[in-house]
Amino acid sequence: MTEQPLVSIRDLKKHFTVGRKLFGPKPVLRAVDGVDLDIRRGETLGLVGESGCGKSTLARTLIRLYEPTTGSMVFDGQDVAHLSERDLVPFRRRVQMIFQDPYASLNGRMTVRDLIAEPLEIARIGTPESRTAKVHELLARVGLHADHANRFAHEFSGGQRQRIGIARAIALEPDLVICDEPISALDVSVQAQVVNMLEDLQDQLGLTYLFITHDLSMVRHISDRIGVMYLGKIVELASNTDLYARPSHPYTRALLASIPVPDPTATRPADPVRGEIPSAMAVPSGCRFRTRCPMATELCASSEPTLRDIGGGHLAACHYAGTELAA
Amino acid sequence: MTQSTSGTPVLSVRDLTTSFFSQRGEVQAVRGVSFDVHPGEILGIVGESGSGKSITCMSVLRLLKATGRIKAGSANFDGQDLLALDEADLSDIRGNKIGMIFQDPMTSLNPTLSVGEQVIETILRHRKATRAEARARAIELFELVRIPSAADRLKSYPHEFSGGMRQRVMIAIALACDPRLLIADEPTTALDVTIQRQILGLLRDLQARLGMAVILITHDLGVIAEVTDRIVVMYGGLVMETGPVRELFAHPMHPYTRGLLASVPDLRDDTHRRLTPIPGSPPDMAHPPAGCPFTARCPHAMRQCAAELPPIFGHSQGARCWLHHPDAPRIAGINEVAA
Repeated sequence: MTEQPLVSIRDLKKHFTVGRKLFGPKPVLRAVDGVDLDIRRGETLGLVGESGCGKSTLARTLIRLYEPTTGSMVFDGQDVAHLSERDLVPFRRRVQMIFQDPYASLNGRMTVRDLIAEPLEIARIGTPESRTAKVHELLARVGLHADHANRFAHEFSGGQRQRIGIARAIALEPDLVICDEPISALDVSVQAQVVNMLEDLQDQLGLTYLFITHDLSMVRHISDRIGVMYLGKIVELASNTDLYARPSHPYTRALLASIPVPDPTATRPADPVRGEIPSAMAVPSGCRFRTRCPMATELCASSEPTLRDIGGGHLAACHYAGTELAA
Repeated sequence: MTQSTSGTPVLSVRDLTTSFFSQRGEVQAVRGVSFDVHPGEILGIVGESGSGKSITCMSVLRLLKATGRIKAGSANFDGQDLLALDEADLSDIRGNKIGMIFQDPMTSLNPTLSVGEQVIETILRHRKATRAEARARAIELFELVRIPSAADRLKSYPHEFSGGMRQRVMIAIALACDPRLLIADEPTTALDVTIQRQILGLLRDLQARLGMAVILITHDLGVIAEVTDRIVVMYGGLVMETGPVRELFAHPMHPYTRGLLASVPDLRDDTHRRLTPIPGSPPDMAHPPAGCPFTARCPHAMRQCAAELPPIFGHSQGARCWLHHPDAPRIAGINEVAA
């Protein structure tokens, strides 16, 4: 890799203190607990993991909706982890977010025109007339009509609302768009429409995507590289093809084996993983997956594996990844 | 798994028609749905939001919201029409001969009672048993659904359980009285994939061991493929296609079923092949179209399709589509098997 990545996250942590305790330290929820991650220009980086793994907290910390506890986040050469609100303004124009629920994320009292023009107004770009023209152009880009501009969001279906959310996200021509479960609230027949559109927009506008999802079939389809998160850390990161062909972390293997395949003739492994994800307030010592891992040893309890290259840029955080034992 | 299409069905639904009434007028959620569930089979009802799949089952159980009304139809269970029973007879059947599981176990469980109390309550309501017997049965049920340290966990409250464990509690309650039929409405939708796998495995095991019939309602084609024997595909308040799961996935007869299967990415395919969405969106059930509800989105729609609702053509596998009329034009993959 000669080119500098667009985003470079190092040892990022976001801890929350929760509850009240009169004596002793307050319990700490380690939502993001030491993440290293590069996002390359123009790529789609998929981030998968189950609920509670910290993937949404990571995204929200990256756009500074949450203050990072420690660590650095370099965006296009500038560390944005500790910038003041005022100095964040140019950064915030260049990073936008698409949310999961198109019903909750759009203000029902605003017209589609005002919803899409709002980011332009906040950034003081153009005149009201030029902004309206821009709204019409954006509507066309996301497959809606100019005469939709004067209607309200509640008049639209889920898929159309998500298109409005996407038009809003690309209004400022950002470099990075964080898609946080953008299709999980949509019907199957509409999901493919939105995914195809996101792919077209990426080609047309040169966008970089961080695509967060729990849908392992869709993430394979849309991503160039995929990171797997477990309990606040990335446990495996590889190219899309490599991850599915050679899953090297036992958790990745368990996840892949759990996906229901829409083929009644497919053979299915027995329960690939036991138990449930531990609480982020009580992270196990050593490897955080060891309590559910079928191949855990004493080493896993005493020493935490680092995310290391096991060949060809395929990263895995498992003592046994890439060894005979893991095969 | 055998697909028993002979013998007396456990549940036989005929021409079920349910509407909701609001200021907007009548929303025709279910428009004449018929299907059978046979002993020992898992029937999947698949459809997108608004297809009428959940309303169908809520109608059968007579658990509709106040604005909903069953306008016509019958639901024969154990020699009785559930739709004609009075409320007292019906509550003898619900939770007793018919068990139910819903998507969100947190809203189905009482947060102020221990889970053990809720299981025991269900047993005492429907069975002649002492409290001690009911408690023993509750422990047995918790062990059956593989809740670790069953006897201790009876004392826990719903909020002390994870989503997966709560769904196990719901299954234990549903199975408390050895139901002949279990209705599961999106039982794993709120769960993570690894937990979903555990719960689906559990449901399949229990079904095989206890021999009950199961109706599984879901929008997830993967879940359908994984656990069901036969499927009913719903769209626009109607049954669009029905058949054994393998045949239906291998040769979908209805363009809607075909479109649905084509729009999900294949996990085993890494070619980044463009997805094939179904254009448009589902019909507004306040003004359902006169003909086939899929006409506006169908790549093969004919004039006839908009004019008149087709009947279901076919036998063990059948589709509500004019393309299966003997006089319809031949279309590869739909009514003509590719050479």
